[in-house]
Amino acid sequence: MNCQEFRKSIAEAGPNPDLLPHSNQCPACAALLVRYCGLQAGLTAVAAELRHLEAPERVELGLLAAFRSQHHPARAADPGRWWIPALSWATAAGLVTVAALFLLHPHRPSPAHRTAPPSVEMASVTDSPDSYAVDEDDGFIPLPNARKLDPNEDVNVVRVEVPRSAMLSVGLAVGPDRVSELVEADVVLGADGLARAIRFVDEPAM
Amino acid sequence: MNVKPPETDDQLFVRLRAGQEAAFIALYRKRQGAIFRFALQMSGSPAVAEDITQEVFLALLRDGCGYDPDRGTLSGYLFGIARKLLLRQMERGRVDVPLESDAEEAALPELAVEENALEDLTHREGIEALRRAIGTLPRRYREVVVLCDLEEVDYADAAIVLGCPIGTVRSRLHRARALLLDKLNQERHPRPSVGTLKAIRCLT
Repeated sequence: MNCQEFRKSIAEAGPNPDLLPHSNQCPACAALLVRYCGLQAGLTAVAAELRHLEAPERVELGLLAAFRSQHHPARAADPGRWWIPALSWATAAGLVTVAALFLLHPHRPSPAHRTAPPSVEMASVTDSPDSYAVDEDDGFIPLPNARKLDPNEDVNVVRVEVPRSAMLSVGLAVGPDRVSELVEADVVLGADGLARAIRFVDEPAM
Repeated sequence: MNVKPPETDDQLFVRLRAGQEAAFIALYRKRQGAIFRFALQMSGSPAVAEDITQEVFLALLRDGCGYDPDRGTLSGYLFGIARKLLLRQMERGRVDVPLESDAEEAALPELAVEENALEDLTHREGIEALRRAIGTLPRRYREVVVLCDLEEVDYADAAIVLGCPIGTVRSRLHRARALLLDKLNQERHPRPSVGTLKAIRCLT
């Protein structure tokens, strides 16, 4: 093996025992082998470091809901577990009420005009101070991982079109064949322009 | 004692298509981590990685999802969908990691680097430096490093995922590693930019 063959072999197959005879005779190629082995050890360490990273559990829950709605529609609406959606709705309604109380604080400043985040296509914008007064009948669902609204925070409500798959992220069942459809939704945006809660428009499942 | 061997991806897929929830859960738990990490490394955004993971497995649930065991492994199929979705996200500008750097592609370095740059690659700071370096690779090199070096996808599967010959996977990997070594070397010994150099003597 000459230096050229050594370089070709290490490029194609990485460090391997066939390289050792030549590297024992050639200091330059030996140094190259050391560099390659060092990098490989580093990459192995990075891979081990990342190994624990996994998708959040809510992804599995959403997918499971989609799977059930596809294969076991009756089970998806199991009457023996009626309290689960009821509890979810009660919790959501409670959060909306708390948010509404904060928003109705008398010292709130004038609302800032914000735009929708780039991942959604804006259909129309509602920008009225009255839109803060969301009560539990408004059906807004807090978004997972979204920061809670501050008491005097300016908010906007925008109407957007989002893929139906967005319903999965708030725990609503969606058939896999319909995930790419667009649905209209009202999104509450905080003063920082980030979405905090969502309400799907004209969705009977709500 | 009779120990049952773990089910293969294809066996789980068949049961999944038959509507068996346990098979879907088993397959999801087996493969979601790699898909999530691939999407995270490529996008730099946990939110995008989460969306991509969800979309990949939703695609698997669809009727006529297009998976054909004769054309590759299920793992490769899932990575392939994830990659397509990522490219779409990148076109929309929903990623935090830079996509391409033509300057880096123009001058691919040889594997010339000081050895002490590699000494601590397995230590905390070295690992972080290497992660940063991977994140700044141009997309075509980053994806091959993430697939082959970090997720241990074999070259044949990687070629199917990337839609290129195995030889291209090998050459991209080689160039990617050369770029990584160069970036690590630069981090330890930053090169002065042209603007900071002063002329000592004019020779003309």
